[in-house]
Order: sequence, then C-alpha cells, then structure tokens
Amino acid sequence: MTAVPLRARLRPGGIGARHLVLAARIVGIAALTAFALTTPGFTSALSVNALLNAISFIGCVAVGMTFITLTGNIMSLCLGATVSASALIFLASLAFGVLPAFLLALGFGIVVTAAQGLLIGYFRANPILVSIAGLSLLIGGAAFATGGQRIYPGGAGLLMFKGRVAGVPVEALYFFATVIVGQFILSWTRIGRVMVMVGSNIRAAHAVGISTAAAIAVAYVIAGACAAVSGVLLAARYGSGDMELGAGYDYAAIAAVLVGGTAIQGGSGSVIRTLIGVTVIAMIEVVLLLRGFSEQLQFLITGLIVLGVIMLHTIGEKR
Amino acid sequence: MPILAVEGITKRFGPNAVLKNVSLSLDAKEVRAICGENGAGKSTLVKIFTGVYQPDGGTVCVDGTPTEIAHPQHAQELGIAMVAQELSLAPALSVLDNIWLGNRKVPLFHRRKDLRARARAALDKVGLGELALETPVAALSIGRRQLVEIARMLTRDARVFILDEPTATLSDIEIERIFAALRALKAEGKSIVYITHRLGEVFAICDAVSVLRNGELVGTRGIGDIDRDQLMAMMLGRSMSEMYPRWDSKPGEPLIAVRNLRVPPIVRDFNLSAARGTVTCIAGQVGSGAIEVLRALAGLSADATGEVDVNGRPYRLRSVRRAQRAGVQFVSEDRAGEGVFLRLNAGQNLVAAKLSAHTRLGVLGRSGLRATAAKLAAAVGVDRARLRSPADELSGGNQQKLAFGRWIGGDEPGVLLMNEPTRGVDVGARAEIYRLIRQFCERGYGVIMASSELEEVLGMADVVVSMYRGRQIASYRRGAADMQRVLADITHPVSPASPVAAA
Repeated sequence: MTAVPLRARLRPGGIGARHLVLAARIVGIAALTAFALTTPGFTSALSVNALLNAISFIGCVAVGMTFITLTGNIMSLCLGATVSASALIFLASLAFGVLPAFLLALGFGIVVTAAQGLLIGYFRANPILVSIAGLSLLIGGAAFATGGQRIYPGGAGLLMFKGRVAGVPVEALYFFATVIVGQFILSWTRIGRVMVMVGSNIRAAHAVGISTAAAIAVAYVIAGACAAVSGVLLAARYGSGDMELGAGYDYAAIAAVLVGGTAIQGGSGSVIRTLIGVTVIAMIEVVLLLRGFSEQLQFLITGLIVLGVIMLHTIGEKR
Repeated sequence: MPILAVEGITKRFGPNAVLKNVSLSLDAKEVRAICGENGAGKSTLVKIFTGVYQPDGGTVCVDGTPTEIAHPQHAQELGIAMVAQELSLAPALSVLDNIWLGNRKVPLFHRRKDLRARARAALDKVGLGELALETPVAALSIGRRQLVEIARMLTRDARVFILDEPTATLSDIEIERIFAALRALKAEGKSIVYITHRLGEVFAICDAVSVLRNGELVGTRGIGDIDRDQLMAMMLGRSMSEMYPRWDSKPGEPLIAVRNLRVPPIVRDFNLSAARGTVTCIAGQVGSGAIEVLRALAGLSADATGEVDVNGRPYRLRSVRRAQRAGVQFVSEDRAGEGVFLRLNAGQNLVAAKLSAHTRLGVLGRSGLRATAAKLAAAVGVDRARLRSPADELSGGNQQKLAFGRWIGGDEPGVLLMNEPTRGVDVGARAEIYRLIRQFCERGYGVIMASSELEEVLGMADVVVSMYRGRQIASYRRGAADMQRVLADITHPVSPASPVAAA
C-alpha cells in the first residue's frame, strides 16, 4: 500500500509542526537579540565590528555552501582549503596588480570546485568523498608549491579589500554583495530555480528534461567563487597566508547553513536564511565572549545551541 | 480447528475504510489463495495477519484463541511468517548466515555444526538440496532467494506461510520450483496464504480461494466449486460505474509509431501505433513490462532499443531531452520519487517544464510564471489559493494533477505517456483525472497509458494492448475488448502448454 505513508504525511500534524518550528525560530531570535542588547558593550563600535568581521569571512563560504546543500549534495569538506589556497594564489600573484590577482584567485577557486561538481554531477560520485579527495589534493599541492612556507605579498594596493567605507568594514560590504548576488541567482534566475528542483527531487528533474549534472556543476562553481572571495578578504586582512587560513571554515559554514534552516536533504532553503544563520552563530559567540565565558565554554555552548536548532528543524521536517 | 481465523475485521486509514467486516479462516494443510484487484485490501489483510497493522474492529484468532498480534516479531513467535516481495535477505552474507540472521533463538554459544545441519534440512525441504551453505545470497536468482527465505521461515518453526505475489518477477522454471516447495510445505502440514493476480496459479496450487473487492469479502470457494470465469466475475463485480467520461472515438491523424521496441530484460519486440485524439491503454500486471515500455519511450531507460517516429519524424531513445523535443511527455507512476517536487510549492511544480519559455538572459520572468501557474491550475482544477502550498501538503489526487498539468500548453500537442495515472488517488479525484485525460485528447494529444487496473483500462481506452511478462499478447479496439478476454491475456495461465491461447 504505497498510499499509506503519503496519507500519513498529509495529516494536519505536519502543518502544525511546521508553524511551531517557525514560532520557535522567531522566539529564539528575539530572545537572542534581547540577550545581546542587554549585554554590556555589545552595541559598542568595537564589538559590532568584531561581529561584522566574524560573519563576513565565514559568511561568504556559507553562501557558497548553501548552493551545495540546496542541490542535494549535503556539504563540501573542501571549501576551507579552497579559501586558503585562493588566498595563497591571490598573495602570490599580487605582483601583477590587485585586480588580476583577485581574478586569478577567483578563477582558481572556480576551477577547483567545478572539477568536483562535474565529477559529482556527471558520474554521480559521492559528494562528501569527492570533497575529501579535493581537500587532500589542495593541501598536498599547496605544500608542494610553497614548500610549507608562509607567503608574503609582493605588491601593494590591498586597501580595496580592507579598511572601511562610511564606518563599515569593507569585508562586510563584499559579504553583503555576495548575499545579494546569491539570493538573486537563487530566486530570479532560471539556473537558480533549476538547482532547487534538482535538490528537491533529482529524478523528477531528470524526467522533466533538466540537465541535472549541469545544475550541480553550476552550484559548485558558485561555491568555489564564494570561497575565493573569502580567501581574498582573509589574505588582504592578514597580509600573509598559509593553508591554515581557512581551516575549519567548511564546518562553520555548514553549521550556519543548517541553523539558517536550509534542508540538509536539499531542495529548500535560501541565502537569506544562511545570512541569518551566520549572524545568529556570530552573535552567540560575541555575547559569550563579552559575558566573560572561557573559550572552551564558548565552543561548548555554541555547539549545543547549533545542535538544538538543527534538531528543531529535523522535527519540523519529520513532524 | 482453524489455525488462523479473522472475524469481522475492519481497518480504516483516515476516512477510508480499507477492510470492511472481513471474516475468513485457514485450516492446517491448506493452501488458500486471496484474489482481488489492486486496492481491494489484500495487502492490508496480510499486514493484520503479520502484526504490522492492528485492526480497528473484529478479532484475530490463532489456534482458536482470540489473539492480539501486536507486532511482526509477535506474529513470528506465533508461527505466522511473511515471505516478502521485497526480500529481506542480506546479499553479501552466505545462505547459512542469512537463514540464521535475526533468529533470537540462536544462543550466544552454539554449535555451528548443529545450525548447519538444521539449515541443510530446511533447504532440502524447499528443493535447494544441491545449494552449498557458503554460497553468498548475491549469487542467487530472485527465485532461489525466495526459496532461501522460505527455508529461513522453516527454521523458525513457522506454521503459516504468507506469500504476496511471489511469482511476479520470476521465470517459468523458477515458478515451478516455488510451487514444488509449496507442495512440500503442505505435505509437512503447513498452511499457506497465497496472494496473486494470476488466476492460473490459483487453480494450479491452491485448495480454496477468497476474493476481496473494495475491502469486502465477496466470498470463499473451494477450488473444485468454481471455474475461471466465475472467479473473474467475483473479482470484478458489477459493471463499470459512471466513473468514466463518455466520448466518441474519433481518431485523428497518426501520431506515434513504435517498432521493435526492446527494453532489457523484460520487453521484447513491442510494436504500437497511436493516433491523435485517442487513448491507448497498455494493460498488464506488475512484471508485464507495460510500465517499462512507457519509460523507454520517455527516454528514461538506459538500454532500450527500437525505432520510434512521432509525426513521421524519428527520435532516438535513451534521452529525455530528445523525447521531449519530439513532443513526448511523461507522467511517472512513482509520484513521490519521480513525479512531484514535494518541497517546492504547487505553482513551482506546475511550471517545472515551462522555465525556458519564461527566461530572458537567464533571468526568470516571475510574473509571467505566476500567471502561467494560475492558468494551469485552473485547467487541471487545482485551487488557486493552494498554489503557494508545498506540494507535500496536497492530496495524492492534487499531486497527480500537478504532475500532468505541467504538460498542458506546449508548442504543439504531442504524445502524453502516463504510467498508472490513478495509483494512490482516491475515487473522487479519479473521475476528475479521467476527465482531464480526455481533455488532452480533445486538444489533439495522443495519450498512451499503462495500467494494471482493468476497469480503468476498459473505461478509458480507444485501443487496448495487453501484455504478459514482456510480450504483447493482443490488441483490441474499443468495444471489441471485453474484460474477460483482457483479464485472461494479462493473467495468462502459467502452464507453457497454452501459449497465447486467449488472444
């Protein structure tokens, strides 16, 4: 009786649970905001800047990760390494000028992830395994190319990637631009809609005549470009780089994507949600810092909250 | 005393009563067939026997004592064993390991020799005497896997064996092996409940047959007291209702021609031609290849071969895009898996195939898409207010409307392929879907649908093509097809002595 699970899914409880999750989400954000605003020093320029910086670097990667998750490929473990490697490329080619270096880094990030996207799209390779392979290749390749040394830039003109405009850190402006472009692609372009369809039901997308492999490849291209932007921003900020620069960013990014409420199974979510996810996590961290929790406790509490939010979504999904 | 009996069983899912006041009893050493059309309630009844479902009313008696079979494990302890259609063997493990897998009576410290001997004995009884215990299950054919599964139940001291369409995917030789095993079980004093669509099998190995229709027990007859025609009449019941739209068959110009279609491993040498404005129904049971024929035409089979023309222009199989460019569109039988984007909203589902027409420089014309979605929703009768609801909150009937509403209004009416268009759709929505299918015909489409429900086939078809185990048996024009003949075609007797006799 194939009809049974279908009917079960139609029970009104499913809809009720969805509203409940939405309500819990709003209450949670309101509580966090109230908690943050009553924390002494949270509204100071210093901590707002720290918050913006924290969300900018990870945020760019998280926007890219959103596309990977949305198309049904869970996550990439290679984006952090892509961030570092693009930063290295940027620093190493600064001698040609800032803009060419930026474009080279962007191109590099795109090539790295596009190769993975093609493997996953056309050969239906397991996305996690492919990203692990990509990670090893990048780390190995970088060690080979740099001899394990830090890279110091050979040019000037990094100002376009750091400093501030009207008091706002430039990094944050780049991040917000990434969010806007990402959300535009997702909801206003054909390829954006197609990516969501592929993530929702890849077999149905195939049966409708969509090239599912191309859609997946495009999602990876976007992810690579986002990671490269993050890499360039980090490189500009620190003025030097190694493969540690973006280490762990993939995990932070996927946490932001999931806390934002993009479905891990793909097919539902948005870049705006990821923006919310990144902000929520960063706010928790800043608040904990300002309230004087030790670093270990900060990690622990952040982890627990992320886990709680993800459980909440899982319940909403399953009724 | 009957070994297993149910008295006045009722089971409902939401508002739908799936079983209504069903009573039957099974004696020791009896092979009982349960027959009925799809949706008659056979599987639900079996799930009550095996403790998967609990009845909403009535009693279940085991050995004459009223018993509440609480869960499948409990059913096993009572000696009631299900031989599942989807086999529950672990392919990588050996036959021996599979036989003992999950058996709670195996002590932590046991004598392997003892287990081997008992497995051997069970395999001998089901006719697998020559099979080595170390053979991995992956190396066995489906038929032999079923026999291993039966042997596994034997080692668990099962007394009632329930088989749900065990022969649907088997070859003649393998079917004969299963029958031999069932006869051996019967000689051992076991009872068997045998669910099948194939009437030949009922007469080949069963002692009695119980017929279900729309959740009610029509009756139980000894196999000597009934013939095939009477059994069919019991299964099908009254004449066709007002479910189906009235129409005048007026075929237009030829639309599609299929020659020598092969879809390994099932379909061989399939030929068909269909005209605009007509519905062609391919009638066949599970395993007949009817569904595979349509999937191949839609470009969804990786190894289909054959020549297909639409409007006189050939197109190559094995690519969805080429099929669509030729004007061939497909509605899947697997709605959740392949038909509908459950996490997208209804409107997005309706315009799924219309994105390119509304795209300029890669950017979607969202207001145009919204207007199209509203138009399509009106055309298939989905409430406009629901366009923004996620598809998984809609009923099965509404989801099916989304799946084929997306093909309305292409450049030129083409071929609409539909597999089991009303599977999992309730009665009210069915009539609406049939009406929509006819509307496609009026627009100049040619509709080809595969269905295992005869009533639907005869109610809708201008041309009926019957299939049995991958072969085309016969084709009938509307009016020339009667239920008995088509049913005989698609439930073909198993004995190889009567090939194609019914055609």
